Amino acid sequence: MRKCKFEDFIDGYLLNRLSERDKEAFEEHYFNCSSCFEKLQERDVIIRTIKNHPELLITEKTEARVPLLATLKKEVRAFFTPRQLVLAGLTALLVLVVIFVIVPRNQAPAPNFFLTDEETVRGSSITLISPVIDMNQIPSSFEWKKLGENIEYQVSIFNHQLLWKATTKENRITLPEEVKAKMVPGEKYSWQVKAFSPDGTLIAVSSRVQFKIAAQ
Amino acid sequence: MTLNKIEEDIQELVVRYRPIIAFRVRKALGAQNVDCEDLVSEILSQVLEKIQSGEFRGESSLGTFVYTITSRRIVDYIREKSKVMKYAPEPHPHPDPQETLEAQEMSERVKKALGFLKPKYRDVLYLYYYQELSREEVANRLGISPRKVSELVNYALKLIRKELKI
Repeated sequence: MRKCKFEDFIDGYLLNRLSERDKEAFEEHYFNCSSCFEKLQERDVIIRTIKNHPELLITEKTEARVPLLATLKKEVRAFFTPRQLVLAGLTALLVLVVIFVIVPRNQAPAPNFFLTDEETVRGSSITLISPVIDMNQIPSSFEWKKLGENIEYQVSIFNHQLLWKATTKENRITLPEEVKAKMVPGEKYSWQVKAFSPDGTLIAVSSRVQFKIAAQ
Repeated sequence: MTLNKIEEDIQELVVRYRPIIAFRVRKALGAQNVDCEDLVSEILSQVLEKIQSGEFRGESSLGTFVYTITSRRIVDYIREKSKVMKYAPEPHPHPDPQETLEAQEMSERVKKALGFLKPKYRDVLYLYYYQELSREEVANRLGISPRKVSELVNYALKLIRKELKI
């Protein structure tokens, strides 16, 4: 059976979505078309039943379904026109490219310090061995991990300012008595070692480690 | 034309047009309006009167003729009422006159049919008919295409109609 073209007006008419012109045309039509009027009556009962008993249609999913993703989509659509959305996407892409591609390329690489023609040390680290924790008494010596041969180490000890600085080719140094005399129990100190190649080039630096001498 | 034949024609006309006029009147005035039934009877009387007095000359269909009388009477009623209602209190809510036994029975069957529907159909009917969202809005809410919404609504209605015809 061929479908009447006015059948598509039924929902619009019952849900008050038709223009005044379409509404009048449809009204005149259902006064003349018993098939459409029958369908209209039937749809009216269905819609009124749904309106009076929405609980019959509420599924667990009705509230929970999609909302998160779909609502987000809807919110985004409500906020942006398609053109703005494309622009926002491109901007985000550009920012990601800058963060992950351009910035890393432009960052200065970790310095390489050349010990000899064959031996290279990537800059920055000298591991300090002792003291690295709080001490019961004033330390008599300072020790760190050896980097290689013919390297000169510069050791600095600080309280609030530089207390003492000395150089050695060993990987440890004994603290002179006059320096020990300046150190006070209960105070905090820090120390750092820098390594230099034979030609005087800085090749490595340790972190500045803090230690405390326990009060007597 | 015999008196019997005229009687039959009038009966046929009333049987055919009364529900249509009633539907149009309730839609325009609201199903709870206490005057609906009186207005429907009044319109039917006017239609019969005009036919008998020869006012209906067959220039348009009978349906269009009845529609025109119905629409004019509704407009007149709204005009009269808006004058009166300036001074009169709101009428008390009245039971829906359309809730006849037949309509109630049909509604019960619709309720039963709704209970049998799969969740995907219930979701779409809830959003489309209860929340009165547009096809596109339902599509957005459910993450499907508007065409799919139409398909689901049409199929759900088909399932309900099937239940009503049992």
